[in-house]
Amino acid sequence: MRRVAITHVAQSNGGESRESLMDFTYQVNKEVLGKAGLKREEVGCIIAGSADIFHSGLSCANAFDWDGIGAFLKEGSRAEESAFSFIYGCMRILSGHYDTVLVTALVKGSENPDNDPITSFYGDPFYLRPVGINESVVAAMQMRQYMDLYGVTEEQCAKVAVKNLGNALFNPYAHIRKRVSLKDVMDSERVYDPLKALECAPKSDGVVAVLIASEDRAKKLTDKPVWLSGYGCSMDHFIPGDRDLLDGQLKTAARQAYKMAGIRDPRKKIDVAEVCEPYAFQELLWCEQLGLCAEGEGGYLIDSGVTAMDGALPVNPSGGVLAMNPYPARGLYRIAEAALQIKGQAGEHQVGKKVKTALAHSTHGFGGQCHSVVILSA
Amino acid sequence: MGKAVAIIGTGQTKHGRRSDVCYPDLVREAVSAALEDAGITLKDVDGVVLGTMPSMMEGVSSTHFYFAEAMGAFRKPVMKVETCGSTGQSIGHCGFYWVASGMADVVLVVGSEKMSEGDGQATMTTVFDPFFQRTFAAGAPGVFTMQSMEWMYRFKIPEEKGREAAAMISVSNHDNAMDNPYAHIRMRVTMDEVKNARIITYPVRLFDVCPASDGACAVIFASKEKTKKICKKPAWIKGLGFRGEEFFYGESDKAIWMSATEAAREAYRQAGIRNPLKELDVAEVYNPFTYQEMIFYECFGFCPRGEAPDYVLKGTFKKNGQLPCCPSGGTLCTNPIGATGLIRLAEAVLQVTGKAGARQVEGAKLALSHAMGGVDQFNAVTIVGSKL
Repeated sequence: MRRVAITHVAQSNGGESRESLMDFTYQVNKEVLGKAGLKREEVGCIIAGSADIFHSGLSCANAFDWDGIGAFLKEGSRAEESAFSFIYGCMRILSGHYDTVLVTALVKGSENPDNDPITSFYGDPFYLRPVGINESVVAAMQMRQYMDLYGVTEEQCAKVAVKNLGNALFNPYAHIRKRVSLKDVMDSERVYDPLKALECAPKSDGVVAVLIASEDRAKKLTDKPVWLSGYGCSMDHFIPGDRDLLDGQLKTAARQAYKMAGIRDPRKKIDVAEVCEPYAFQELLWCEQLGLCAEGEGGYLIDSGVTAMDGALPVNPSGGVLAMNPYPARGLYRIAEAALQIKGQAGEHQVGKKVKTALAHSTHGFGGQCHSVVILSA
Repeated sequence: MGKAVAIIGTGQTKHGRRSDVCYPDLVREAVSAALEDAGITLKDVDGVVLGTMPSMMEGVSSTHFYFAEAMGAFRKPVMKVETCGSTGQSIGHCGFYWVASGMADVVLVVGSEKMSEGDGQATMTTVFDPFFQRTFAAGAPGVFTMQSMEWMYRFKIPEEKGREAAAMISVSNHDNAMDNPYAHIRMRVTMDEVKNARIITYPVRLFDVCPASDGACAVIFASKEKTKKICKKPAWIKGLGFRGEEFFYGESDKAIWMSATEAAREAYRQAGIRNPLKELDVAEVYNPFTYQEMIFYECFGFCPRGEAPDYVLKGTFKKNGQLPCCPSGGTLCTNPIGATGLIRLAEAVLQVTGKAGARQVEGAKLALSHAMGGVDQFNAVTIVGSKL
């Protein structure tokens, strides 16, 4: 099988952008091509990652995206979730049809409604939406179940926010950059009991561009290619009541990704993980399901400091989604951050240990209806 | 170049106003038909690609969640690919690349729309940006009519001649749809009826315009090895291309239409086609508007620029002509938008595998399928053939 690598990465800084989405996108795209020394015309094809109407105020977001991502009269496409976009880009290279693909995910959260009303439209209009469902409501139920079943405490969940927002202080590309204490998190407003405001991700502007290339091309473009070594994805039932919210499809996605990467013991093999945690407790639950700790031991995991920036297995050194949540782009942010860690180019939030293998995770949907897992290696 | 990929099964719903089923059931109808056609079960499917028009069309966002069970994606990897009206072709391209990458052996591709539950024209107006263009957008007909006028003006096509040719396209598409049991609009129209129908946006009249349909389509892609084992009559993907141009309508030349021209050129290059009019046996062109269909003929190299009406009037693209176009009745008679581009592909597959029933073009071996989307902005082409 052919191999595919990430060669270069660029991302917007997390604050609210004053640019139009088109200019905002163009700047980041230009930056990544500049780093690679490529012209737009030299890129094989371009895949966008963006979501429609509710995240952009436009139907068919790709229509507006097209100029800014530099895709004028180029081969390309768009996937709705940016981890999908990334893997679609990889498929194009693995197929042998293209040597370079630019994957760009974009959104201006500041121009759109809050996440909760937007995610309520995942629900069907007949059964789910009338009960007031949205992603946060399901997350709150999931958190309650998680604490009840395993005895994980609210404080342990809150510690994830303290850790990740602390990490974000070292990431110039993060949106929320402020130090919070455990007390701050615990005292923040209970938005959906037991979820507290500081345990919920913000809504951010974000453009992230990742240049990927075939093996030969990657080696010419950079001396530090980051290889795709594993990928998994799995979809759960639609109605949250039809599922076990504590035993979803992340295990399936992780199993596929580890199998492809030849990883038997992820705890030993994974050096750093960028996990998509729009709600603080989910980092613990997802770590369990990714096999980074035993089932029900997410609470110990955070207490032990293993997942801290200087721990044995740092999780979300970038600050994660709690610090930066450009919703449809957040999956590609995780992938880009994981790649930077392997390249040793994460700057102040570069983890202390040597990173050979990194995991990037993305999820969307009620209680993690769909999960994607990407394994990258040096 | 990469691995060979085949299409081993297709399925469509009966298109039309489908108030008898809910939206996921509509999707399942197409999925079940495709699985049956391919003689496989969901267990054989490694991944699922879904695409629809934007969320606002039916009021549910990110429909891959809603259709998780209906499209057979439970416990499977999914992809959600959307490029506006060209979605149907773009999801087909994704199915192709997924299999060609070696990451899957069998991929199920599903496109759908249930337009009776939303407001299609309101949705399409929101494809325009909210600051400059939306205030004067008039849904899809406004744009496509402007383009038709630009084209006729550019090539000095007399208005009566354009009208006559467009009416002929309408009549032959409606005639063709009578042979297609899945088509939405199944009625015969006369030249006079088309020419005197109510004006939608001048010069486009009622029978120059597609309907808004409920419908779904599913197509199954498989690797060469898998195909050899389980499918006697596959259709092979010979070439594919997608091109997009500027977002702002006024920035590009829609009479020459580079995105359509270049998408076809790329597909021809891959398929080794030099003279499409001679080499293609049948074409399923995305034709929501009769006038626009003629612009596509020119962009795809079926005839010289500005001469499409002449070719239409001498019957080149009729069912018994040199290059039959839309023997299914086309988009003009059936348009569930997210599914439409995939229906074009499925119909092309049926033609080259000899399974098109009453709408079969005798001996078809090489077929073009196409879709267009955005504000006249995107074009996608897929060419399938009976031989590897």
